[in-house]
Amino acid sequence: MIGLLQNLVDAANLGSLYALAALGVGLLFGILRLVNFAHGDFISIGAYALIVPSFEVTAQLFIGEWNWALMIPTVTLIVVIVALISDALVFQPLRRASAPTLMIASFAVSYVIQNGILMIYGARPKAANLWSGLDTPILLGELRVPLLQIITIGVTLALMVALTLFLKQTRYGVMMRAAAEDFRMAQYLGVNGNFVIGLAFAISGILATAVSLLYLSQTGTLAPTMGVPLALFAFVATVIGGMGSLLGAVVGGFLVGFIVIMLQAYLPEDLRPFRDAFAFTFVILILLVRPSGIVPTRAFIERV
Amino acid sequence: MKSGTRPSLVRRFWPLVALCLVVTAIVALGSLGNDELQVTITEMMIRLVVVVGIYLFIGNSGILSFGHIGFMCIGAYAAAWATVDPTWKQMMLTGLPDFLQNNQYGFLPAVAGGGLLAAFVALLLGSAIMRLSGIAGSIATFAFLAIVQSVYSNWESVTAATSSIIGVPTVVGPWVAWLFAIGALVLAYVFQISRFGLMLRASRDDEVAAKSSAVGIVKVRLIAFVVSAFIVGVAGALYAHFLGILTADTFYLSLTFVTLAMLVVGGVGSLTGAVTGVIVVTVVVEVLRHMEAGVAVGATNLHLPQGSQEIGLGIIMALVMIFRPSGLARGREVPWPFTPAARRAKVPAV
Amino acid sequence: MLDVNDIHVTYGRLRALKGVSLSVKEGEIVCLIGPNGAGKSTTLASIAGGVTPHRGTISLEGKPLAGVGPEGIARLGVSLVPEGRHVFGALTVAENLRVATYMRKDRSAIAADYDRVLALFPRLQERIGSPGGRLSGGEQQMLVIARALLTKPRLLLVDEPSLGLAPKIVDQVYDILLAARKMEGLTLLINEQSSHRILKHADRIYVIRGGHIQLHDTAANLQDGEAIKRAYFGFGEEAAIDEEDAA
Repeated sequence: MIGLLQNLVDAANLGSLYALAALGVGLLFGILRLVNFAHGDFISIGAYALIVPSFEVTAQLFIGEWNWALMIPTVTLIVVIVALISDALVFQPLRRASAPTLMIASFAVSYVIQNGILMIYGARPKAANLWSGLDTPILLGELRVPLLQIITIGVTLALMVALTLFLKQTRYGVMMRAAAEDFRMAQYLGVNGNFVIGLAFAISGILATAVSLLYLSQTGTLAPTMGVPLALFAFVATVIGGMGSLLGAVVGGFLVGFIVIMLQAYLPEDLRPFRDAFAFTFVILILLVRPSGIVPTRAFIERV
Repeated sequence: MKSGTRPSLVRRFWPLVALCLVVTAIVALGSLGNDELQVTITEMMIRLVVVVGIYLFIGNSGILSFGHIGFMCIGAYAAAWATVDPTWKQMMLTGLPDFLQNNQYGFLPAVAGGGLLAAFVALLLGSAIMRLSGIAGSIATFAFLAIVQSVYSNWESVTAATSSIIGVPTVVGPWVAWLFAIGALVLAYVFQISRFGLMLRASRDDEVAAKSSAVGIVKVRLIAFVVSAFIVGVAGALYAHFLGILTADTFYLSLTFVTLAMLVVGGVGSLTGAVTGVIVVTVVVEVLRHMEAGVAVGATNLHLPQGSQEIGLGIIMALVMIFRPSGLARGREVPWPFTPAARRAKVPAV
Repeated sequence: MLDVNDIHVTYGRLRALKGVSLSVKEGEIVCLIGPNGAGKSTTLASIAGGVTPHRGTISLEGKPLAGVGPEGIARLGVSLVPEGRHVFGALTVAENLRVATYMRKDRSAIAADYDRVLALFPRLQERIGSPGGRLSGGEQQMLVIARALLTKPRLLLVDEPSLGLAPKIVDQVYDILLAARKMEGLTLLINEQSSHRILKHADRIYVIRGGHIQLHDTAANLQDGEAIKRAYFGFGEEAAIDEEDAA
């Protein structure tokens, strides 16, 4: 019983990270029909921005050492700027391109960022200690939950509430929802398309930064391709949840976290290494059985 | 066409002939060079087989696939299972079936086996996913790549997982690779001008037909998918017998990116584009690689930082996508050179 | 006010407009009629900036609109009510209406406009909190017109307002358009497939078919409907040429 509860907490923790990453991917897909491979690399940048640029194996914290009240906004700003630059340089000139073309373009952006990181920080993985005080376990009855997991789940819920409030209550949020549903119609009503897309990139950057910080503090390692598996699972989550639906992205993220942890815990020993293969097979099945995902949107049906 | 049958036949196959001549010339010139150049040329020819194979599917169907390097992985391992020394296999690859574990086969049967296994997997996968198109289809192929990666990099008893398969006979040099490149070009061109190719291209250009999942279209798509997986599987087998050592992560995102970049830079719309892309990208990457290694200018050795080739390739790809969306070849084949210039404009592209 | 001069538009290999010219003067009601696929919607979309002609010019009060883009043209006071409604289905009626006001600089006037426009649409007022996707076809048509009015346009482009609606509702839609025109001092350019309702209200009429303007005259001169019928169905020599163009 305790084992199952422990697994569920782990699932919620991992699901939180996937849900946050999936929200960033889903937001851009909703507005731009862009399946953004580079989202994982935005996450990597958030982590690398914390350390001193060098080829050393042990990372020395730089921005990461600052007080969190200063550090979080600074890192967020860096990631948001990278996201906006990639929009301005690559995606903006490709506004009229087809969705698969955009997907390849984001692949190119991802490749450039990964190798850019490699150029500055070297190819070898690095160890880094971010917020190491936070892994003290908290006892809830017999359950031992690391404080960091509680923070991860809490931050994720807070960001989701904030994003919902933004989308429902503010003028920019309403604009974004309108543009996500019918981009051209929103433009006919005077909504500035590039502004809305830039806003989506910025928010996607903020969400990516949250993942960087939480993920790095949990794993303690950096690598130029560290964001790739996160982005892949985020795609899985958005596909399962229903592309273009933000609620779907969140549901999908938690579901993928749940599936991964459960496979890890209950799959026979021999099959455990193939966990990812099972997860991706599940994606293909979902695409075949329910192409519009668990939380379908009208937009997806029209757009695919 | 008023001209007689003979000239029109020559003309019909002219783009193929021209491309074969170019490829042959490159290999002939390369074979005069040093060992390093030979290696470069061999790798280029193998990549040509891969890219032509991918082109056969993407170019004709219009569906973007991220999964083809998975077929290359399957072909490479299948061929290596056949040609590696049995004593090593009995020690390391205990999960292999008897006929592979205890026997050693020749290079050609191994290559054929690699291609066929890839084609078989494509048949299974394709039967399921060929009715998906657009983003859903592309994501499904991507998921396939991730599945292959996960399976091959973890299946200790069959793929040796992270400890690699070693001792694959390195029998592939420039001329062997050339032979297969010519074969791939012929197969791709014949497919393209066949009834199947024309049907697929018509469905690609007509949005309504492309989105439909009419049985006819899905079937032809599947044929293209299987044939293209066969070619890419063969290329994997060649690559295994070129490298001599296999690890699954060779066949993942980087190679997917490089081959897609070749296709995009040259243009997905024509076989000429695929070949152009392979040549141009290979040259660019080689130049950048040499600059990374360092160029002596006077007394100092100038060199670009590590990672420059990849960044350069990414930037070139993005520039082509933005400024020349249909690629360097603009979706056309090599034009017939003997038409008077005034009439050339009216000759329709294939 | 609006001058469209010899615009050509192609979609891939399909030539949708082959040199369309028309003009609209301040305060007029101009109607563009023609059969399905004649190029009516493409003409309006070109004016609103949603489609870029590869030849020809469009100007508003003498200023060319090339390169301004749909959002810029909306800000210049041209609002398009496109064919097929395009309600934001997941947004509430109120949110649908609010989107239209975000670009406006005269923030103080918005609240008053909102009340005034909504007074024209009692049905929308009742459904103000429901998602746009839940409205009936007639209600959606009302919503998109109300939404367009809230951008405070000077020129309203309406693409097939009667498409798929019951005749009674079409009457209501036209009553509202005319009332709004009087109240807001609007100029109207309306697309329709059929002419009979239009002849009552329009000042001038253009008939378009096969991407060409076939006929242009004042509504008064066209009252008997014969000339329109001929232009619309293309009896005579024009038809043969068009077949060739399409091939």
